[in-house]
Amino acid sequence: MRSTQDVAQKQDSGLGHYSDPPLLVLASLASGPKHGHAMIEDIVRLCGTRLGPGTLYGAIARLEQQGWIEPLPPEERRRPYRITAVGLRVLRAKLTTLRQFAKAGLERLEA
Amino acid sequence: MTLRFTRLLTRLYPRAWRERYGEEFEGFLQRSNGGIWALIDVVQSALWERIFPTVGGKMDRSFGTIVRQPSAFVPMAMSLTALAILGGAYIFGLATGHGGLVRAPDEGSIAHIWQLLMAGQMPVLAFFAIKWLPRAPRQTLYVLALQAGAALASMAPVFFLHL
Repeated sequence: MRSTQDVAQKQDSGLGHYSDPPLLVLASLASGPKHGHAMIEDIVRLCGTRLGPGTLYGAIARLEQQGWIEPLPPEERRRPYRITAVGLRVLRAKLTTLRQFAKAGLERLEA
Repeated sequence: MTLRFTRLLTRLYPRAWRERYGEEFEGFLQRSNGGIWALIDVVQSALWERIFPTVGGKMDRSFGTIVRQPSAFVPMAMSLTALAILGGAYIFGLATGHGGLVRAPDEGSIAHIWQLLMAGQMPVLAFFAIKWLPRAPRQTLYVLALQAGAALASMAPVFFLHL
């Protein structure tokens, strides 16, 4: 299994990578409930970052604490999680901020 | 990863975290391929969880859980040990006919042990307060009151006997 650092080393030393585990987990759950492994694979497809097991569960625990995600009944020792309505609002707000930031940054580069 | 190894890794996390996430985390690790970076990631996250524990969800943050933290009971144990040392020295003094505890000009080894125990608990106490006050203020204040009570009980003989 490759971890975040492993993938980062192979892709221009992490340049062009995005790594904010809670935000990545929220973004992954925006398309529907998922368990840990499904989240990791989805996040790899989403931005190329592979979260390590500890990082993933650290993000899950903190997101659950904040009420932004919630657990569903376990399926064979796999517990799926889903994003809550508050989590969706937070994700939308964070992504909007990121879009504005990215737009402003790219405009400066092109100027 | 093997079952034994995943259990070992999961045990690096605090008990409250294990009770909530332990089973699914073990299952998750067993289905992982492992690797040195995954191992480092788990160890690092477990250490982080011990320093800044996640509280919430269904995790327990009761008084009973907090008072069982080493940083909660170690200062109390140090104060009570200091008090027991003074008590032991007092009884020894009475038994040997020196009239209990008397102030020695060079303070003596009993005084130095007492000072080490009382001063040594300060960083542990500070760590406990920094770690737990933001997470469970009321329960932490109860524990801090117990710690203060134990410290005062240990200081009382020094004050009243003018040691």
